[in-house]
Amino acid sequence: MTAPLAHSPPHMASTIALRCDDAPVRTAVRAWLDGTEISPPDPLAVHVRLVGRLGPQEDRRTPFRQPTVIIRSGSPDQPTRLDWRTAPATAELGIHPEASVFLTPEAVARLDECLSTFFTPVLILLLRRARWHHIHAATVMDPSGRGWLLAGDSHAGKSTTTALLGANGWRVGADDSAFLFAHDGRVLARAPRSLIALRPGGRALLAQAVGRDLDHIDPHPFSPSDLGTSWTPQIAPQIALFLASGGTRTSGTPLSAPAALAQLVRASAWVMLEHEFAQQHLDLLTDLARQVRAYRVVLGPDLSADPSLILDLVQ
Amino acid sequence: MNTRYRQRTELRIAELKDEGIVLHLGSRRYFTVSETGLRILELLREPRTLAELTRRLVDRYDVTEEHAEQSVRQFIAACRDANLLVAVRSE
Repeated sequence: MTAPLAHSPPHMASTIALRCDDAPVRTAVRAWLDGTEISPPDPLAVHVRLVGRLGPQEDRRTPFRQPTVIIRSGSPDQPTRLDWRTAPATAELGIHPEASVFLTPEAVARLDECLSTFFTPVLILLLRRARWHHIHAATVMDPSGRGWLLAGDSHAGKSTTTALLGANGWRVGADDSAFLFAHDGRVLARAPRSLIALRPGGRALLAQAVGRDLDHIDPHPFSPSDLGTSWTPQIAPQIALFLASGGTRTSGTPLSAPAALAQLVRASAWVMLEHEFAQQHLDLLTDLARQVRAYRVVLGPDLSADPSLILDLVQ
Repeated sequence: MNTRYRQRTELRIAELKDEGIVLHLGSRRYFTVSETGLRILELLREPRTLAELTRRLVDRYDVTEEHAEQSVRQFIAACRDANLLVAVRSE
C-alpha cells in the first residue's frame, strides 16, 4: 500500500558559519551546508581557503582510512587532519569549534564531488565539537510515531528497508547516517536532509513492493516525497534494528542492552577517533543502548512483499 | 620484584547492566567485559599488583582467595594479549 502524498518540512538554512574569500566556492559550500539543514545549538564554523598547493606534511599518527578520506587524530597537541583521497585537499580541526579547509585548484575543479565526499567527513568531525556524534544508521518513524534506528554494515539493507518502509507510510529521516545528541535526558537522532540511494537490487525490490516500475522516481537517488512520504529530521529512537541480509525469510532476535551497545559501537566507528571526544561519544551510545529495544534482524525477500512484517518482529 | 599493571591511557570504558565495553583508541578495537573484569579495570586506573587485585576481589565478592587469584590471572593475561595494560616493574 502506498501512503498518501505527504509534505516534508520546508527547507531551513544551516546555522553553521562559513568564511571563504572566493565567492563561487563560498556560494557552493554555503548551498551544500544549507542543504544538509544541520543546525546544532552550539556555534560552529567552517573556514575555506584556496591554496596553490598543499605544504609537505609529516604526520606519524596512525591513519584511519575511509573510502574517501584519510584521517589522522589522537594527539592533543596536534589538530585532527583529514586528507581527501581524490584530489589535494585537507582539513584541520583543533579543539575549537571550527574546521579549516584547504582546497587546491584540482579540488575546486571537482567541487561537487568534494562537497559530498570530503566535506561530509569534515562535518562529522566538526559536529563532535557541538556534542553531536555520528552513527552509521538510517532513521525512520513508524505510523504510531515511534522512532527507529536501522543500523548495519554497508550492503546490509539499510537504504532498501528505509525506502520500503517509506513507501508503506513511514516517515523517513536518513537512509545511511545520522547524528546522535542528548536532549532533556534522552538521546535523539538528527538526520541530515539527503536523498535515498538504492542499488539496482534494492530498486527492484522497491518496485516489487509498490507494484509498479519506478520510472516516475527520477532523478535517482530520490527524496522521501518521491515515495509518497515525508522527511522527518529528528527522532527519539525507541527501537534499534541491527540489519543483516541473506535470510530466506525475515527474522528478528532480541538483544540485551550490553549486546546492543556493542552493536552501536560497531555502527559508530568514529567513536575511536579524537581521544578528547571518545568518552562523550561512548557515553551517548551507552545511554542509547539503555533507551532502545534492540533486535538483530536478518532480512529476507518476504519484507518487500510486506514491509509491515518488521512491526511483527518487535511485538 | 613485583609487577604492577595499569590501564593504558587510550582506553575508554562504559558500563551497562553489570557488563562493560572497553574501547582501545590506539588499536581502534573494542572488547566486552564481565562485571568482574570491569571492577578489575577500574582498579587498574592506578598501578596494582596481582596480589592487590586478588585481595580487592576477595573483599568485594564472596569468593575464595584461590578462585579470585585465578580470575585475576586469567583476566590480566587476556588484557595483556589485547594490549590494554602497561606493566610497571618495581622493586
